[in-house]
Amino acid sequence: MMAKKREKLLEVKGLKTYFFTENGVVKAVDGVDFDVYKGETLGLVGESGCGKSVTAFSIMRLLDYPGKTVGGRVVFEGENLLEKSEDGMRKIRGKDIAMIFQEPMTSLNPVFTIGYQISEALKIHLHMNDREAMAKSVELLKKVGIPIPEQRVHEYPHQLSGGMRQRAMIAMAMSCDPTLLIADEPTTALDVTIQAQILELMKALLQEFNASLIMITHDLGVIAEIANRVAVMYAGKIVEYSDINTIFHFPLHPYTFGLLTSIPRLDVELKRLDAIPGFVPDPLHFPKGCKFNPRCRFATDKCREEEPPLVKVEEGHLVRCWHVDRVKEEVKNGLLVGV
Amino acid sequence: MAKPILQVRHLVKYFPIKKGVFRKTVGWVRAVDDVSFDVYEGETLGLVGESGCGKTTTALTILRLEEPTRGQVIFDGKDITKLKRRDMRKMRKGMQIIFQDPYSSLDPRMKVKDIIAEGMLTHNMLNGRNVYKRVGELLERVGIPADYMNRFPHEFSGGQRQRVGIARALALEPKIIMCDEAVSALDVSIRSQIINLLKDLQNEFKFTYLFIAHDLSVIKYISDRVAVMYVGKIVELADKKVFFDDPLHPYTQALISAVPVPNPDYKKKRIVLQGDVPSPANPPKGCRFHPRCFMAMDICSKVEPELVEVKPGHFVACHFYDKKGGNS
Amino acid sequence: MKRTLRKLFSNVTSLIGILLLLFFVVIAIFAPVIAPPLSDDPYNTPRMSWDINPQPPGFPMSDNIRFIYDTMGKKVKWNKAIFGTEGGGYDIFYALVWGTRTAFKIGIITVASSMLIGLFIGSISAYFGGWVDEVLMRITDIFLSFPFLVAAMVLTTILGKGLDKVMIALITFGWMGYARVIRGSILSAKEETYVMAAKALGIKDGRIIWRHLLPNTIFPVLVQGSMNIGSMVITAAALSFLGVGAPMGYADWGQMVSFARNWIIGAPGHAGQYWYTVFYPGIFIVLFVLAWNLIGDTLRDILDPRLRGEL
Ligand SMILES: Nc1ncnc2c1ncn2[C@@H]1O[C@H](COP(=O)(O)OP(=O)(O)O)[C@@H](O)[C@H]1O
Ligand SMILES: Nc1ncnc2c1ncn2[C@@H]1O[C@H](COP(=O)(O)OP(=O)(O)O)[C@@H](O)[C@H]1O
Ligand code: SF4
Ligand code: SF4
Ligand SMILES: [Mg+2]
Ligand SMILES: [Mg+2]
Repeated sequence: MMAKKREKLLEVKGLKTYFFTENGVVKAVDGVDFDVYKGETLGLVGESGCGKSVTAFSIMRLLDYPGKTVGGRVVFEGENLLEKSEDGMRKIRGKDIAMIFQEPMTSLNPVFTIGYQISEALKIHLHMNDREAMAKSVELLKKVGIPIPEQRVHEYPHQLSGGMRQRAMIAMAMSCDPTLLIADEPTTALDVTIQAQILELMKALLQEFNASLIMITHDLGVIAEIANRVAVMYAGKIVEYSDINTIFHFPLHPYTFGLLTSIPRLDVELKRLDAIPGFVPDPLHFPKGCKFNPRCRFATDKCREEEPPLVKVEEGHLVRCWHVDRVKEEVKNGLLVGV
Repeated sequence: MAKPILQVRHLVKYFPIKKGVFRKTVGWVRAVDDVSFDVYEGETLGLVGESGCGKTTTALTILRLEEPTRGQVIFDGKDITKLKRRDMRKMRKGMQIIFQDPYSSLDPRMKVKDIIAEGMLTHNMLNGRNVYKRVGELLERVGIPADYMNRFPHEFSGGQRQRVGIARALALEPKIIMCDEAVSALDVSIRSQIINLLKDLQNEFKFTYLFIAHDLSVIKYISDRVAVMYVGKIVELADKKVFFDDPLHPYTQALISAVPVPNPDYKKKRIVLQGDVPSPANPPKGCRFHPRCFMAMDICSKVEPELVEVKPGHFVACHFYDKKGGNS
Repeated sequence: MKRTLRKLFSNVTSLIGILLLLFFVVIAIFAPVIAPPLSDDPYNTPRMSWDINPQPPGFPMSDNIRFIYDTMGKKVKWNKAIFGTEGGGYDIFYALVWGTRTAFKIGIITVASSMLIGLFIGSISAYFGGWVDEVLMRITDIFLSFPFLVAAMVLTTILGKGLDKVMIALITFGWMGYARVIRGSILSAKEETYVMAAKALGIKDGRIIWRHLLPNTIFPVLVQGSMNIGSMVITAAALSFLGVGAPMGYADWGQMVSFARNWIIGAPGHAGQYWYTVFYPGIFIVLFVLAWNLIGDTLRDILDPRLRGEL
């Protein structure tokens, strides 16, 4: 599936976004690097609070006070978005980069019809007139599988079910034929049968539009389903970054490894879940050294002192851990289920 | 086989839909519509289904936190739907519930020790002096240091709060605990800790669980038997293994096939259902699944299928498997 | 930057509120020291002269009155009306000092009583719902349908003159707001799962209201109440102004302003001649109301964000 000639579409380098709150500086995103190639899907996975949404908002430059991107580069089609003017950014948002949110109810405006909201982007970015925009909206709604689109364009968000709203949101995102789509937990609020519909739809649309996707989710199952490559985030940093097969079969970061052995799953019969102890650290009180060390069974004194860098272990496989060798041993010994 | 500790018979719960200035009832949400099942002593019965299908309402009406519209709930041999308010309050000691939301289920203005002690004091299980000692033991048992008992709920993380909720239920030494999406709101890494805790407690205290969840992976891990609900009705009930390996109801099949599996090599035939889950205020005639069913027949839109035992211990509500449907 | 400024500002205002309130509390507590009473009932304002007209600040006690006190064996520790006198020679300074106690009494008793009634009715109404709610809310509506001031005046007229009657009237027609607020917050709080959890534990309804619902819902009512303490004093003053409040000479700010109305204009050709009869009690009332308002604001600032953070 991966394109032979891998063309870089987006390059995020050393991205740092902090929140300057009354209680202190929250380093929500603290040095994140990843690339997105044309036509591929990058999964961004991690538990709540690890900085996935903030990463997405930073790329789109949609953060408000007290959040501020304080460092790094976001290079999209050769241009650093962080240096663009607000006007220039507006031309990109919704046109070249579109975003889909978890709760379509809050990201669709309740007082305008679905059709009006889709048309808006078409009129601004593609300079269509009212009639053209409306016709195109109907076409888009049809494309995302909304029945009787001619009628639905005139309806308001609350008249649609959750799944239909998410479809409408997708139609809106795809309206200007974006090259990059950022989906922030687009199926988390949906039931599994509806989630399955939306995932199928997204896969089909990506192919048709040849767009790239950053899929943000906490669900490893969804990642396995849709992503080509995966970045695992923990406490504001990428801890492991690789292609999908490697992540699921040969993970080298203790956190990734722990996640995979701890979740209940349909494909294998588990005697007991190998739960990761402890809890996700509070961003104001990150532990010293490796941020995972209080929960890590491989942790040594070095881990408690020094934060490991994200290093290349093999081609296309980056891991942020001092003791990759020890994890490798365990994976080799077949301790990972489902391999 | 163990004896049933809880027997639910034709349980019905309708909520009125009120409209207008005079709050006239214009219709009914048929949240739970003629549900029957048994829960055996010491087992975990998983109750699964998509949101709005009536899982929570089932649990709440069993506990009479919502008054059932019709039907019986027989707990420990006694029909509790007939009990007076006061007797029901006593009965609550034997049946506890753990809620989904670890944030709203603890009173933010009460110390954790009082949250846990309240039930024991109400039921005169212990006196004021000994109760906090017991609270300490319970906290330790669920994995929270006993000296945290003087803290308020907001000083705990989501996972820890859920542990407090478990300790609160544990305190009354109930026979059956309903876990209503008890792990759904938790983070992935915390979820498995709580699931392990619930399993350990069951082994230790021989609890019976009615485990409600929308996540089939969790249900598969924790249950002995599984029941699926669809728009207020149970459509299939079977032993876990049979349920996952050989599901009969088309909805169950679709549901299982829709679950994303964290394994990119896992190949399966996915059944993608069309359309949305219908509203329980206006369920389709006949089989409630028929507008989305890929096996629907003529009879399906006319006659509602009954939940019948097609094999020992395997119940299905689908015309395809009863005599009328011609097959089976 | 804007936020810090706003915070600082709100801190300054709350500081002012606290200082003002402290000022009044000190006056109320030390009233017997600041203005030693001359009769058995300290709320009887002593007269400095028999003259019908107000006397200017610094007016000394007239000799014949002094003589009466002396023959009564009272030790007069002061003999100047430093803020002047009202018509009839009532000492303004004395009345202001003891009037502070009256103000606290009116404010706190009326607000506390109406709040209790409101909490009781509102919480029962919200918790049980159904016909209980229906009946109680209809009653509340009926009380609300009377214009507050008119209703209070009519009731005071029926009950008779006097501050206690004024207070009864203020309580009778003052509880509905609290009932409404508490009903609203309990209606939403009772949907919280912890209430369901308490029921599931088998806890009695009364205890659920008392231990779970009220602690979680009472703060808006407290804020409202503290703001109302000031305005209750104003309302009582208005009733006095309309002639149904405290009698002349009673140490009550409202009464003072009320009787000062005859002197507001002054003698022909001497506009504003008797300014002190309105100015001093007026400023006390305004500051008292301001103090409670600022305190209410502060309470809201303190309670709200923390509440939000916790839930
Ligand atoms: N407006 C804000 N003010 C302060 N901290 C914030 C704000 N928004 C997000 N954060 C913090 O940033 C971190 C990352 O948040 P987020 O990116 O939303 O996580 P997630 O991975 O769940 O999407 C969290 O610790 C959160 O507390
Ligand atoms: N108190 C209530 N009043 C009216 N309708 C309700 C009430 N509680 C639940 N419902 C409705 O009953 C149906 C079943 O809800 P619920 O039992 O919460 O489903 P689940 O727990 O399976 O998600 C839903 O359609 C819901 O809207
Ligand atoms: S660096 Fe140390 S603590 Fe961190 S993940 Fe690796 S082994 Fe664990
Ligand atoms: S009864 Fe008919 S519509 Fe319903 S599940 Fe069976 S085959 Fe499908
Ligand atoms: Mg997020
Ligand atoms: Mg539910």
